[in-house]
Amino acid sequence: MTAPRDIHAYLAEMDDIPGTRVFTAARARQGYHLNQFAMSLMKAANREAFKADERAYLDAWPMTEDQKQAVLDRDFNRCLSLGGNIYFLAKLFSTDGKSFAQAVSTMTDMSFEDYTAMMIAGGRSPVGQRSIKEKY
Amino acid sequence: MARITAGVACSHIPALGVAVDFDKTGEDYWAPAFAGFDWTRKWEEQEKPDVVILVYNDHATAFDMKFIPTFAIGCAESFTPADEGWGPRQVPVVEGHPDLAWHIAQSAILDEFDMTIINEMEVDHGLTVPLSMMFGKVDKWPCRVIPLAVNVVTYPPPSGNRCWSLGEAIRRAVESYPEDLNVQVWGTGGMSHQLQGPRAGLINREWDNRFLDQLSGSTDALRYIPHIEYLRETGSEGIEMVMWLIMRGAMGQTTEQLHRHYHVPASNTAVGHIVLRPVPDAEASGEGVGAAA
Repeated sequence: MTAPRDIHAYLAEMDDIPGTRVFTAARARQGYHLNQFAMSLMKAANREAFKADERAYLDAWPMTEDQKQAVLDRDFNRCLSLGGNIYFLAKLFSTDGKSFAQAVSTMTDMSFEDYTAMMIAGGRSPVGQRSIKEKY
Repeated sequence: MARITAGVACSHIPALGVAVDFDKTGEDYWAPAFAGFDWTRKWEEQEKPDVVILVYNDHATAFDMKFIPTFAIGCAESFTPADEGWGPRQVPVVEGHPDLAWHIAQSAILDEFDMTIINEMEVDHGLTVPLSMMFGKVDKWPCRVIPLAVNVVTYPPPSGNRCWSLGEAIRRAVESYPEDLNVQVWGTGGMSHQLQGPRAGLINREWDNRFLDQLSGSTDALRYIPHIEYLRETGSEGIEMVMWLIMRGAMGQTTEQLHRHYHVPASNTAVGHIVLRPVPDAEASGEGVGAAA
């Protein structure tokens, strides 16, 4: 056994990473219906219904208006801030015919081409990206 | 008795599965990622494992937000490849080993690991991509597979130490199974990657390679890496590497590295791969060297 952890200190650290929303219990609770909506797109018939009328499909789910608008806008950073999880949101961008790399690049400040070039060159360096407070 | 003969770890990036399925592995972009698996495919043909205990995570496929088991073991006769939103992968159905799986479940629970038991489940790329990497494009997988799903999506996932200890419990369980079986344990996922937010695309080659270094030999330093270090150093999805520690824990105290491969990138991710052989305790301490020779 390792020593028991202080849950409050543990959770505080999760919020100290630049450009990252760790999928904590608080986010999982906030995003429950958003993520379950996304999960429903695993079925072909649901994908068709969603594509036919996105607004009507979303209105059948007890999501907040902000969550629905973020989905309609395909604003994935906003979806993450409202409790979305990337593996659930993947059902949404797959429905749009987008790859992981295409969808992921929209959350950065780069074009898909620039993002792909960065990955081929070795990816984003962790230097300066590890901690908001400590800036290292 | 059943015995654990080797440990394998590798990334389970979905794009690798797409490259296999659509015969793109020879293309300039993909060839260097796949080259490091040629050795292993030949080695597996000689090793002929009877069973692979395959540690992976489900990516919102079999489990949604309704149920979130920390450790779940697949005890079914077979597992069908899932439709993850673009149609199921055209790969063989995965045949399980219910008798050994239930034996491990019972042993682990008595050993104080509260496993979730799964009797029906579809499996996603987390499980089928490693099979493709190690066995290639085949009509039938050459061995039985026991899926062991770990929650690394909703926080907190299990600690590295807990994963390592579960590996030790799996080793005890396998070694108490009466049938003579050649068993491998695979740990999958990682290495550094972040699929979300403005920091997406993070890769940490130095950290990943230190992790690979420390999988062999008799150090157990990796089991004490806290979650926050994976998150800061290897990206939000780098946490998947705790699953490699279940494999490492199942190898016993000392391992020898047989093969290793590292490549950046495959899509958003660093591809890492290692093959380990457990070194018997007597041999590791030097007592068995004469006898082995």
